[in-house]
Amino acid sequence: MKNFVGYLGRAFITFLQDLSSLYYLFRETVFQSFVLITDRKKLSQARLLTQIDEIGTQSLPLVLAVAGLLGVAMTVLISFQLKEVGGYSYIPGLVAVAIFREMGPLITALIVAGRVGAAFTARIGTMKVSEEILALETMAINPVRFLVVQRFIGLLFSLPALTTLASFMAVFGGFLFGSTRLGIRPDTYVRETLDVLTFTDVYSGVIKAGVFAVVIVMVGCYRGLVVEGGAEEVGRATMLSVVSSTLAIIVLDTVMTGAFYG
Amino acid sequence: MIRAHGIKKNYGVRTVLNGIDFVAERKKITYILGSSGGGKSTLLKILIGALKPDDGQVFFHEMDITKLRGTGLDPFRKKIGMLFQQGALLNSLTVGENISLPIREHTPLDDNIIKIMVKMKLELVGLRDFEDLYPGQLSGGMQKRVALARALALDPEVVFFDEPTSGLDPIVSSVITKLISDLNRVLGITCIVVTHAVEEAMKIANKIVILYKGMVLAEGTPAEIRGSSDPIVQQFITGSPDGPISFHASSRDFREDLLVE
Repeated sequence: MKNFVGYLGRAFITFLQDLSSLYYLFRETVFQSFVLITDRKKLSQARLLTQIDEIGTQSLPLVLAVAGLLGVAMTVLISFQLKEVGGYSYIPGLVAVAIFREMGPLITALIVAGRVGAAFTARIGTMKVSEEILALETMAINPVRFLVVQRFIGLLFSLPALTTLASFMAVFGGFLFGSTRLGIRPDTYVRETLDVLTFTDVYSGVIKAGVFAVVIVMVGCYRGLVVEGGAEEVGRATMLSVVSSTLAIIVLDTVMTGAFYG
Repeated sequence: MIRAHGIKKNYGVRTVLNGIDFVAERKKITYILGSSGGGKSTLLKILIGALKPDDGQVFFHEMDITKLRGTGLDPFRKKIGMLFQQGALLNSLTVGENISLPIREHTPLDDNIIKIMVKMKLELVGLRDFEDLYPGQLSGGMQKRVALARALALDPEVVFFDEPTSGLDPIVSSVITKLISDLNRVLGITCIVVTHAVEEAMKIANKIVILYKGMVLAEGTPAEIRGSSDPIVQQFITGSPDGPISFHASSRDFREDLLVE
């Protein structure tokens, strides 16, 4: 029992230390982002488009495929319940609202955290253990500006865009199923969707995506920057990175959903 | 030029450096020798400002770099170069991009001039044709030469070398050793080399500092070190397995260790 309490205490202290370090990393990243944006020469060297391509474009096929299937699955589940009460006309609106408010941002962020956040940790962690980050510091090059800022800006652009596309794709998946298998007329489906969906539903999803982008970059890069040791530690840090960002995304999603619609 | 005074460093209860004093003179080659795990790399990290000592100062000219933090270290770091043991080249950048990185970061020069500078640095290390390759496509020796070219990118006053010849074949080791000697002789660069390669030090060093148990055991010219009557120095430079330097790193008695449950 004493050991368990000790373990909990140590875990809590480590959590607070991580949180404090993440805050300082975030502050430095925001500051260095302004430095980069205001320096035209450094901005041209920053390869932001490459980052957006790596993070956004290359995640697009997976995100769209998952989103489309999610839209179909949600429509199937909702139709199963509404069939009993003859409420098929509610399906388009229900699916669209659930996707834009909740499922679109959440699923996209979880996919990107697993795909991109893990890659950030693995790449930066490997650079740390092979002394590449120390080499940057020795050359008076700020590692946060060189390694974190371009990823931060890249994901801040990419994730809201990916989320919006994923939400549209999921709604389209629902539309396909609804109009082909449930017998809802396509024009009715579209009209019902547009009647229910509000601008707040769309922008709340985009805001959520922006917050999730910050979480994924900060956690992914932080876990990489604090790696000590060798390959085994890089693997452990990558696993921790995915677990931490997944947890943080789900907690923040609940908080934001409560704030927007609670 | 570089003066270390009373450097102490502990990792937990283990004392790694216990009051290191030495001076690396301007335009000279200083070798810091010591056995593996003897605190050489820790001392090097303190000398380049990557690690803070628990006590003591490191002066570059008259500037105490142990008092500097963050960007305060930048003026010092722009005047030094560092060759890491494994090269530490950025694997996502080509050889040319690696070398141009510090130049782009710290000078307003345009691309054409930077390209010429990169070619000049690569020519210095004999790898002018390898500009467009990635570090992963080069051998270990080539990577170290590229890393040296990068360390020289900003024409530093001092270059630090961490085990520059470890893991290399004898010919490549000789090439690297000759490069260090040439940099010092031709360009007047102060070189501080941390290694356990005694013969290499004897060949080109102006001064040798031997570390033992976290302290300076001996310092002097190669001739003075060779002539030392200290049995530990003699064992170290001859590489004899028998002598006062124990093969066993454990501090506890073996019999006691076995009898402990």
